[in-house]
Amino acid sequence: MHGRRRQAAKEATVDEKEQNRQRVEKYCALNDLVMQNKAQGVYTRETLEATHRLLELNTELHTVWNYRREIFANLPEWQDDEQRQAMLEKELAFLLEIILKNIKSYWMWYHRVWALRSLPTPAWKGELALVAKLLSYDARNYHGWDYRRFVVARMKESLDTDTQRDDVDASEFAFTTDQINKDCANHSAWHNRSKLLPAIMQKAGGALEQQEVLKREFDMILNAIYTDPDDQNGWLYYDWLLDVQKDECEKQKLLRDKVAAIRELLDLEEDSKRPMVELVETLVALEKIAPHLVDDERKKECLATLERLEQIDTYHVGKYRDMSKSLSMRWGL
Amino acid sequence: MATADNQQHEGVFGGLYVDKHVEYIKSLDKRHDEIEYWMTEHLRISGIYWGLVALHVLGRPAALDRDEVIGYVKRCQNADGGFGGHEGHDSHLLYTMSAVQILAMYDALDQVDAASVVSFVCGLQDEAGEVSGDVWGEKDTRFAFISVAILSFFGATARMSVAGVVAYVCRSMNYDGAFGSQPGGESHSAQVYTCLAALAIAGRLDAVDRDRLSSWLAERQVRSGGLNGRPQKLEDVCYSWWVLSSLQILQRTHWVDRRRLCEFILSAQDADAGGIADRPGDVADVYHTCFGLCGLSLAGFDEYPLGAVDPVYCMPVDVVERAGLRSWMDKIPESWLAQ
Repeated sequence: MHGRRRQAAKEATVDEKEQNRQRVEKYCALNDLVMQNKAQGVYTRETLEATHRLLELNTELHTVWNYRREIFANLPEWQDDEQRQAMLEKELAFLLEIILKNIKSYWMWYHRVWALRSLPTPAWKGELALVAKLLSYDARNYHGWDYRRFVVARMKESLDTDTQRDDVDASEFAFTTDQINKDCANHSAWHNRSKLLPAIMQKAGGALEQQEVLKREFDMILNAIYTDPDDQNGWLYYDWLLDVQKDECEKQKLLRDKVAAIRELLDLEEDSKRPMVELVETLVALEKIAPHLVDDERKKECLATLERLEQIDTYHVGKYRDMSKSLSMRWGL
Repeated sequence: MATADNQQHEGVFGGLYVDKHVEYIKSLDKRHDEIEYWMTEHLRISGIYWGLVALHVLGRPAALDRDEVIGYVKRCQNADGGFGGHEGHDSHLLYTMSAVQILAMYDALDQVDAASVVSFVCGLQDEAGEVSGDVWGEKDTRFAFISVAILSFFGATARMSVAGVVAYVCRSMNYDGAFGSQPGGESHSAQVYTCLAALAIAGRLDAVDRDRLSSWLAERQVRSGGLNGRPQKLEDVCYSWWVLSSLQILQRTHWVDRRRLCEFILSAQDADAGGIADRPGDVADVYHTCFGLCGLSLAGFDEYPLGAVDPVYCMPVDVVERAGLRSWMDKIPESWLAQ
């Protein structure tokens, strides 16, 4: 349903029509067979094979995935750990083959989750390596990232000590660093990082160590911001770090640092939309916690910046007008 | 390609190919020679829902055979009370939602056993408040929304833990103010819609970081005027719905350029065969036709009297009103209405 180019309409040849008719007939016959088997509750190796053939043709038949799982659970081999292990490993290989046809299929990713949950001896490290490989094809595939988080969670559960579990977190954190170094606009990596950072900070130790972690994080995001000042994500992550920073003095300093960084960027490019928006929002945030640092000159600068933004970013005129109105009212300007 | 056309001409209004879209939707159930028709059988009921909403928006709510559709929907119900995407297919919340929405649009909800539907839905919420799509246990904030939405049609939201749903949705909020598919999931416009809609029904829109989320949503508009689902992704007509309905709930649709968005949606129409595609030049489908038209309606396209769409239920406003479900609007935070 996505990304299919329209072809110029042309009348199909007699041959093409016949080919198509056969294709439809073959598919419907197989579909009807499988659905009938399912309705009659037939759980055999033959019906399993039929579901395999059908799912190869259409990976989105979630009812057939359900049925396939039921067949597995009803086969005598399922009761024996070694045989179940072998069956499911084969299933994982099958899934890997067809998931590449549709790497965004909710049904297939969930079937993989089911398989891992059902394995007597799941190979979590192998799964992690596999999903890293899939993410190398498409670094923004959120199914892959969700699956990665599932694997990591289960992996941690299977470990004995807190130290081992901390190591997994650290390793995941390092994975996001890797991804970001490859492409600092990889939002999926930044997102995952944001979920790991609280635990990383907590395990860093005392307040001083935690501040160190946070400082490195600020450096990293500033780097991303300088690399692409127009990317909203970097600024959002920075603002979130400001929320994480509970020390009021530090927060004030960071806000002032942010203003300085923005001014540097605006020196390089005057009408740079995102830094301009950030300038206003940062001064507003600073004014809330340290009103003496934002005088009338700065307030007027905010309103003038919003006016200029209405001209250079016409899609968001509505937003800038709302902001101007709200600030004018608050500051009595 | 659709051209901006200010004259009412052969069923075309301001570039919107009204008649073509109606014919396109009516033709969908007849395409038995196309493999696509058979390979999408598993979501047939959702296809009907998308088509019916589109027809309502186009002012042709009676274009399909009412009795035939209702009969079909009833045949999709299983013994567990849920509905499958087609006859004989396993129950799932996605298709149960479509079934209920179709029946509501035909004012025929009394034709199903409400208790069995409610029981099916309630059985899918666990102690932590999280909601699975079916008995196999895949969880997603989409299902959290669907569960409260379905129950609201039967006046039965109290039968599940709405507080649990709210908590689950809030746990799925990210640093950007937007929402993911589950706690830990990356922000995505479609999830933003479902999470906001769930919070709206629960009367808990106060839990939202309105400014941050509105800014994130506004940035979905790219140069072409179209909207994307998350940063750096391609624009797609279906986000005209997910993003715009979210902004509507937040009372901030004016934070994007709605006129440019309309132009983008119109440019994705198939002027020959009817229907709307994900983006210009692509093959049309009923899903994008539905969301494109809903997007045009929300964006205030006024060259044709499009039916109004409720941004929480993605259904005609008059239907939602009839069901007594517009009350979510009474629970919008006061401060949101001031600006």
